[in-house]
Amino acid sequence: MNSRIRAGLIGGIFGLLISLVSGGQIAYLAGIIAGAIASQLAAQEEDVASVRAGIQLGLRAGLVAGALTALGVFIRGFLINPLVNVSADASVVFMLGLGGLVMAGVAGVVFGAIRGLPSPQNRFGTLLAFGLLAVAYPFLDSLLNLRFMNEVIPVLIFILMALGLNIVVGYAGLLDLGYAAFFAIGAYTTGMLASPHFGISMPFWIVIWIAAAVAALFGILLGAPTLPLRGDYLAIVTLGFGEIVPIAANNLDNVTISILGVTLLENFDLTGGPRGINPINRPSLFGYAFEPSQPIPWYFLILGLIVFSIFFILRLRNSRLGRAWSAMREDELAASAMGINLVRTKLLAFAMGATFSGFAGAFYGSFISAITPASFGFDVSVILLCMVILGGLGNITGVILGGLIIQFADRLFLPQLGDVVQGLLQNSNIEVLKEINFKTDFRTMLFGLTLVIMMLVRPEGLVPNERRRRELHADDEATAHERQTLYDAEQA
Amino acid sequence: MSDKLLDAQGITKQFGGLTAVNSVDFSIERRSISSLIGPNGAGKTTFFNMITGLYTPTSGKVLFDGQEITGTKPHLVTALGIGRTFQNIRLFAQMTALENVLVGRHSRLHAGLIGTLLRLRKVREEEVAARTHALDLLEYVGLGRRRADELSKNLPYGDQRRLEIARALATEPKLLLLDEPTAGMNPNETGELTKLIRRVRDDRGVTILLIEHDMKVVMDISEKVTVLDHGAKIAEGLPELVRADEQVIEAYLGRGAAAHGKGGRMPTAA
Amino acid sequence: MASEAVGSNFQKRVIPWRTIARVALVVFFVLFLAVPLFNILVQMVTNPQLLLRQLLIGLTNGAYIALIALGYTLVYGIVELINFAHGEVYMIGAFFSLTLVGLFSLSDETPYATRIPLMLLILVLTMLATALLNAAIERFAYRRLRNAPRLAPLISAIGVSFVLQNVGLLWGYLRFPAFNGVMGSNAVAPKSYPQLIPNDNLLAPLEGVFGEAFRLRFTTKDLVVIVVSATLLIALYTFVQRTKIGKAMRATAQDRDASALMGIDVNRTITLAFLLGGALAGAAGMLVGMYNGTVVYTLGFTAGLRSFTAAVLGGIGNILGAMLGGLLIGLISALSDQYISTEWTNAVVFGILVIILVLRPNGLLGEDVQQKA
Repeated sequence: MNSRIRAGLIGGIFGLLISLVSGGQIAYLAGIIAGAIASQLAAQEEDVASVRAGIQLGLRAGLVAGALTALGVFIRGFLINPLVNVSADASVVFMLGLGGLVMAGVAGVVFGAIRGLPSPQNRFGTLLAFGLLAVAYPFLDSLLNLRFMNEVIPVLIFILMALGLNIVVGYAGLLDLGYAAFFAIGAYTTGMLASPHFGISMPFWIVIWIAAAVAALFGILLGAPTLPLRGDYLAIVTLGFGEIVPIAANNLDNVTISILGVTLLENFDLTGGPRGINPINRPSLFGYAFEPSQPIPWYFLILGLIVFSIFFILRLRNSRLGRAWSAMREDELAASAMGINLVRTKLLAFAMGATFSGFAGAFYGSFISAITPASFGFDVSVILLCMVILGGLGNITGVILGGLIIQFADRLFLPQLGDVVQGLLQNSNIEVLKEINFKTDFRTMLFGLTLVIMMLVRPEGLVPNERRRRELHADDEATAHERQTLYDAEQA
Repeated sequence: MSDKLLDAQGITKQFGGLTAVNSVDFSIERRSISSLIGPNGAGKTTFFNMITGLYTPTSGKVLFDGQEITGTKPHLVTALGIGRTFQNIRLFAQMTALENVLVGRHSRLHAGLIGTLLRLRKVREEEVAARTHALDLLEYVGLGRRRADELSKNLPYGDQRRLEIARALATEPKLLLLDEPTAGMNPNETGELTKLIRRVRDDRGVTILLIEHDMKVVMDISEKVTVLDHGAKIAEGLPELVRADEQVIEAYLGRGAAAHGKGGRMPTAA
Repeated sequence: MASEAVGSNFQKRVIPWRTIARVALVVFFVLFLAVPLFNILVQMVTNPQLLLRQLLIGLTNGAYIALIALGYTLVYGIVELINFAHGEVYMIGAFFSLTLVGLFSLSDETPYATRIPLMLLILVLTMLATALLNAAIERFAYRRLRNAPRLAPLISAIGVSFVLQNVGLLWGYLRFPAFNGVMGSNAVAPKSYPQLIPNDNLLAPLEGVFGEAFRLRFTTKDLVVIVVSATLLIALYTFVQRTKIGKAMRATAQDRDASALMGIDVNRTITLAFLLGGALAGAAGMLVGMYNGTVVYTLGFTAGLRSFTAAVLGGIGNILGAMLGGLLIGLISALSDQYISTEWTNAVVFGILVIILVLRPNGLLGEDVQQKA
């Protein structure tokens, strides 16, 4: 009973924050999200024996979550909006709150019921439900008039990259602080092969593979000399690589190579310098051209890329290679004594991680159509690391959830929080506070705190993977041991 | 020479100024069970690490199955047919018992990146066969299939030792190195494990070399015992003969004890 | 990609990757590095005056890089953690000292009789503040992770560095009357540090005596940076070598468990390492602020990178190594600034870091320690 309320409260916090900060029709979506999270959490705490039990459990958790969501709507509508001089019709606010509550209950019931199905169907059903939600999102977006589509697509790009980084950090246990470099390489490859920059315009569907291959090649080139290094040194070297790539992109717009007086290249513009490359061609499929004004096809393209990537990442995970990665992460020495070629296995992890980042880079280049070195800095690598760590290393569900939270916090929540706070401060006389730019001034604080707090409080992430979840019931000593082997096996 | 599976010739290992193993000659007959004993810090584990490629000997050479393997990388040594366990159990804690054994099969499987991504038929069949083989091994060492999906760190201590042996056997070794396999076990478990070790040799024809402190185990199953002290070989031969050797007693009990000539007993755990 | 070389035939199947890689490296080196390097050498020889001038700049840079590098080395030597936040502690030191400068209303017009004692006071207060900050970071963000896997405290340290950088950004919003003119009007923009030490060229007389060829620059500012840095470095070295508590630190660095058994309070020793490192970083922050005349919240990243490289170059954990490494990195970056371009200097420093780690991971003065299995 208690666990249901707790699950409802946790889910409800999401609903409350979203409806409090964003306001308006998003309350319905906030309700669905809160209800789904609450129901999933509740079902994790106790065994759901039947559909009926699932419905009961989901309903309770969902309604608790919905109540919080409605609370958020009411605070926003009745307390904040008047303060910032936004007129609000009380009945509209009331309807929104009620809508959030109902949606949360419905979502709770649906997800709870699915969890009550017999064993293979419940997992499949959960997956299907979330899949449907993802597919339905663009329509919800236009139905509720949210206009988040242009933000959602970059969020998905980052999730694709986080999935790749998860191979390197989560599976193989190698801390890569320069992962954005591979993203940059993918994007620049696309820029060079499909834009007027060199006058080459290869179709997107071919370029994306080349971009992934080039990124993988760079992964191997970087990895080959540095992978024998100890874990923390490797982290710093990858950080350096992540720094060098944007520097190179920024400065390779005027390349002159001459050897012994023979000039091979003179003032060659490789990367477009600080201005970058634009416009990059957009994909077209069976005669249909992707347009920036039409986000929905882009949304489904990146969604498809993510599903495609997850499919292959899961295959890798449950294979000889995947086992070698895990073994290496757990204990390098024992792994090599079992016949695992450490350097080769690490290289493959690096190359595979880079591949998915290359996909993401190619998509990004085509979608944004203009790339500059400034978009691939250290902060990108750290955001990705935050996403992977927040959700739970080595766990795809966790990475997606962590990614959604961090990205939405960064792109939607902080700016809107800023708007709200600015509105509240308008009448105050503290000049300094009015100047603070919430869109940018708290970003790094958010990421930094996420990393520190997760390491201190919950190093296994929000959603520990299936196995680690079982561990939570084990005694403390076992948990300590688990932490010992979570990331790095270089204790020897 | 062909009946010698392992032949170490004058191998030495120095760490900075410290000589951990000093010019040791050592050989093992095919299908034999031998023991390496000696006080703590005598250089036994260092010796193991040199054979398995974790350390490169400072000098000397190691021949395995007639082929020189001095300084070969650990994973290649394993591929050639040397399996090992560790003194302080080094299982992959976050992986299940079955997965641990499957990792042991790594060098006998061939699935590559492309095959894995496309899940070719060859790869699928290989994976099924590997699972069957691994489950059989779990049964063979006495863990049973029931425990296959348990995380290795949740297994009882004795089972972890057995799992380590199963994992080493999965590499299809010709020579199996066991580093204190019965450490921390009660007499009952020790007896069981001793039987298992003998069975591995008898059924599978695997040659076995163990480091062991429990003299009962050593005397019980070894056909040859080698004693190391301060990195040097001080005695070698049949268990009974080694047990009576003055130098050995001295190494274990100190000079005084040897002078009194009470050679009948040696510590069961040093 | 089909399979690894296995079985008894493994020797036949080995492809000479190593040889291929070496050949490729040599070709790459000749094509992209040797020729430009040769050009640079030619420039150095033909214009020794320019070279000398850059070397002098490098000397000053090296002095403060050594100060920061010591913080990395002290901490790494004892807890084997790359204190990623260290560069940011240095940045906070710069902001802290600038704030005090504002509070005391120091400017280039304050008479020396009051200016110099106040500057010394500010130096001491800044060192104290950053020392406490660094120790607090250890206490709250690292201590609980001491027995966690190696990467956990490193990730925590990255987090702390981001938080501190954000603190530096928000610091720029401080607008009390005392800071007017010091903190500027825009939070993000670099803050200007008043010119507290004269910028006069001490080597100007040389030009008068020896002529044009000796037109070098070495100002009072350079002198102060080098003198203060050297004093602090010598003081630290003496402290660690001579005092009892310094010896305890070295013992803890050698073997933490054994030291604990010998009655050394390990927690206190670790705190001390963070205190000392933080103090030096604070001093560096103030020196660089005064030297460059500006302070900006992104200062820490580059400085941290260069100093860490310096620590690794000298042999991480080795105090003299960090000093030597700092000096070398200072010189190299000054030369790179001149002969390559300032934009590439970070890349050059990183390139050096990679090369050292691959070729000589224990650094110039580090001992060759075999890892135990």
